[in-house]
Amino acid sequence: MSPPLVNRRQFLGGSLAAAGALAFTGCAQTGPANATTVQFWHLLSGGDGITMEGLIDGINAQYSEFFVRPTVLAWGTPYYTKLSMAGAGGRAPELAMMHAARVPGYVPGGLLDPWDLEMLAERGVSEEMFTAPVWESSVVDNQLYSVALDAHPFIALYNRDICEAAGALDSDGHLQRPDSPDDFLEMCREIAAVTGGRALSYGFLGDGNQMWRLFYTLYCQHGVEMSFPQGGTAEFDREAFVSSLEFMHQIADGEIAARQGTIDYAIAEFAGQQTGIHFTGVWELPTMQEAGVPVDATMIPPIFGNEAVYADSHSFVLPHQSEPDDEARGHAYTFVAELLKNSLTWAGAGHIPAYRPVLEDPEYAELLPQANYADAADYLVYDPTAWFTGSGSNFIQDFGQIVGGAIVSGDGYDAAADAFQEHVDAILSRANPANPEEG
Amino acid sequence: MTDVAAERSAIGPRADVVPEAPGTGPTAKVARRRNQLIAWAFLAPFMAAFVLFVIWPLMHGVYLSMTDQSLTGAGGRFIGLQNYTEALSDPVVWSSIRNTVWFTVISTVPLILFALVMALLVNTGLPGQWLWRLAFFMPFLLASTVISQIWMWIFNPELGAANEILQRFGIEPIAWLQTEHIDIISITIATVWWTVGFNFLLYLAALQNIPDLQYEAAAVDGAGRWRQLFSITLPQLGPVTVVVVILQMLASLKLFDQAYQMMDGGSSDTSRPIVQYIFEAGFTGYRFGYASAISYIFFALIVIVGIFQMTVLSRRRENR
Amino acid sequence: MSTSVPTMPETDVTVSTRRPRKPGESPFSAARVVAFIALVTMALLWLLPILWAVATAFKTETDAASGGLNPIGESGLTTQAFRTVLDEGNVYIRGLNSLWTSAVITIITVGISALAAYAFSRLAFTGQKVLFIAVIASIIVPPQALIIPLYYQMLTFNMVDTYWGLILPQVVMAPIVFILKKFFDAVPIELEDAARVDGASRLRVFWSIVLPLSRPILGAVSIFVFIQAWNNFLWPFLVINDTFLMTLPVGLQTVMSAYGIQYAQTMAQALLAALPLIVVFLLFQRQIVKGVATTGFGGQ
Repeated sequence: MSPPLVNRRQFLGGSLAAAGALAFTGCAQTGPANATTVQFWHLLSGGDGITMEGLIDGINAQYSEFFVRPTVLAWGTPYYTKLSMAGAGGRAPELAMMHAARVPGYVPGGLLDPWDLEMLAERGVSEEMFTAPVWESSVVDNQLYSVALDAHPFIALYNRDICEAAGALDSDGHLQRPDSPDDFLEMCREIAAVTGGRALSYGFLGDGNQMWRLFYTLYCQHGVEMSFPQGGTAEFDREAFVSSLEFMHQIADGEIAARQGTIDYAIAEFAGQQTGIHFTGVWELPTMQEAGVPVDATMIPPIFGNEAVYADSHSFVLPHQSEPDDEARGHAYTFVAELLKNSLTWAGAGHIPAYRPVLEDPEYAELLPQANYADAADYLVYDPTAWFTGSGSNFIQDFGQIVGGAIVSGDGYDAAADAFQEHVDAILSRANPANPEEG
Repeated sequence: MTDVAAERSAIGPRADVVPEAPGTGPTAKVARRRNQLIAWAFLAPFMAAFVLFVIWPLMHGVYLSMTDQSLTGAGGRFIGLQNYTEALSDPVVWSSIRNTVWFTVISTVPLILFALVMALLVNTGLPGQWLWRLAFFMPFLLASTVISQIWMWIFNPELGAANEILQRFGIEPIAWLQTEHIDIISITIATVWWTVGFNFLLYLAALQNIPDLQYEAAAVDGAGRWRQLFSITLPQLGPVTVVVVILQMLASLKLFDQAYQMMDGGSSDTSRPIVQYIFEAGFTGYRFGYASAISYIFFALIVIVGIFQMTVLSRRRENR
Repeated sequence: MSTSVPTMPETDVTVSTRRPRKPGESPFSAARVVAFIALVTMALLWLLPILWAVATAFKTETDAASGGLNPIGESGLTTQAFRTVLDEGNVYIRGLNSLWTSAVITIITVGISALAAYAFSRLAFTGQKVLFIAVIASIIVPPQALIIPLYYQMLTFNMVDTYWGLILPQVVMAPIVFILKKFFDAVPIELEDAARVDGASRLRVFWSIVLPLSRPILGAVSIFVFIQAWNNFLWPFLVINDTFLMTLPVGLQTVMSAYGIQYAQTMAQALLAALPLIVVFLLFQRQIVKGVATTGFGGQ
């Protein structure tokens, strides 16, 4: 484990220095004297956080009547716990960011207030400006509860130089798209021959989110679905479930990808140009560009025959306020509309813009390598809709605990499928804790 | 004048142990009623807060634990003992109880031994008393978040001082807080560093209470330093050790702050203490009813340990 | 919220007096040298984590993130981390929140506890014994077991994310009542009787005779309540979500930087949060040490 650690370190140092320089340019905490403060919570830090900070500063400079004050809380469980507590307490911030797949869990208990479509339309935001999968992920009970900023899929980054040397690029210079597990593994072996080490970086150890992202991509590539009906039993295709796990074990064999790689390790490995491909979220793209990797990006090849891209969205929500300040809320709408219109900058951080005017902007088409995976917008798969799914949820941590052993050992796939079924059924048989009386 | 006299006869030096004087005549009756009112005026602010923020939650929690109350305000239907039956068959309840007890065991021993050694060394009267006290006791005054940040930094798997030191000795780096079973040990190390100063001061006070005469007498009898340690010092530390063990066990069972903070909001099945599971069930999982049930299981655990300690204590006293 | 049972037998110790060397004993005997080395080693071991935090806080972020054990980074000493943290301004807001809420908690707690302790010690009323036992018995109730119903209560009172929601549940500290009652019990009653005969009311006696006599104990107790309130984590962490109302320790845990984890800044912030208490300790070292030693009060 030691050589990449050094890389990681140097690389961390470099990006921190860059961040430090940025830190001094912006970030005043208070706005103009008579501006209304709009409290905005988000969970972005690192590359995404810096981009978001820049966007906020820009909009604050543009408007004198309001001032957006961002608060960053630790990603995942701590963030979501605090957000529910704030919503329950009724003195929540005006605006917050959530993963779209988590929204269904927040609606039933009244932790979120719905968006007013008219107020959005006044500011140039309406349904036809979003792709269908994105809009659908924002609607719960026929009400709009979230406004998506982006879709951030789980994709394949690749090192152009290494993949070219391995003959893994097609005539256009893009990564080949093998459509069977064997072909994909074969391609990886050729890349491994070039690096003299491993072919692929994929960090998953102890990280349910990372396991779920790849697993659900592979699972959906079988052309099957998964659904969790409240009060019923989990419906999923057992064969696809097992073969996806099997494939994950095949790549994590120590030769194609590290047997027990953590997410940090995988990042350091690919940033250190020791592998050709990196299965990761789009948000790592800037990191790799900054680290000087000749990086390109594509959707994960249709390994099981169909195109499918796991994704979630960063979405804006209105946490519940018992006595909302209409003026501040109005400013929050304006702020969101501005951010959407500026989301080309956000796309620079790797995310696919949700707002179609930006997605269809010729400037976005020229933004490389982002445009190379823009097609993903049509193949997005979100988590099965349920109150307990979504990025950073307990469900996903539990998933990691259930299948982690099987992925590492290559053993007990069936037992893992049984355990998964049992676990989800147990959750489904209980009432939604946000509103136990609903069913 | 008579009022005061009547009242004086009613109080005595320790009012709570002296029975009320048998008042005679209407004046005494009025005086007594007035005294009651005065007493209640003194008590009222504290009792109001006490009832509002201790007694009421304590009782209301029992009711909540029998409902499906949600953090969101929804739910609240009475469901009997369902939460308790679920909790008793919830593996996480058991693993978190196990973690809590395990932490109590592995933290109490070093917390007492280190404190004792520190106190013995400081009590030799070596120069620099204020410095020793500062070094050993100051960490105890820091907020849990402060010590957690410091130790998370030391335990950082890639940049932390702990692994740097290991590597100097050619030992493979350890993911201190990211490895199951090791995480709770790392939390224990930080805790010992943090809280040992409290026990140290209790021991130091006890040591300085041992009359010098005893040592002088022993020295006259020709007892050396080690003899004195084992025949005079340690036996006399018995009572304070009992106090330290009791306080320490009760404190360790309430583990939450540093365990929650050092795991950075995450949790592992080998480090999550029971209090953290109350937090997770109630606030992350919204299940106030269920979390209340776990709270009472936790409360029961504390009471059981308390009763156990009292029995051991009284048996020891009887044996004397 | 995390007070422990004051169980130490009453002793009249001043921990600061050190045992004198025995007559005829050399200051450099072998045993003393060994003890001295052992003591220095342990003290260093205990100081190192703090010193390491200090060293990190005075590095540039790049130096801090490059690992190693050098106390001084390649770019030398810098106060950049402290300046960034202070410029950002949240430390002042949270520091003020910590300061004034801790002060209010201390005043209320000590005030209502002293009144109650006086009633338990000096005044006769029905149910006195039962009430006192109830108050003392409540010490066994772990505050952690009450967080759910207490939070529910705050939701009902609409006090989540308010200063009162933060302060009020922290003012009940049964051990303080116990300590103060024990102290009042020992105050000679004759002093009060004289004033009573002169016609002074109970409150007047309490205010102008008992309280002045109790100044030392009230001071010691106040220091502890203040420290506890300043450091308290669980309740403030639960009841406050609004970052404008957060206390320093809670902000340190909850709020992140958009720029990712900044090690030097984190350490600088931690030290700033610790600083006031280190000052309090240096000022009141004697009282704190004595307070812990005689009452066993302040256990975590």
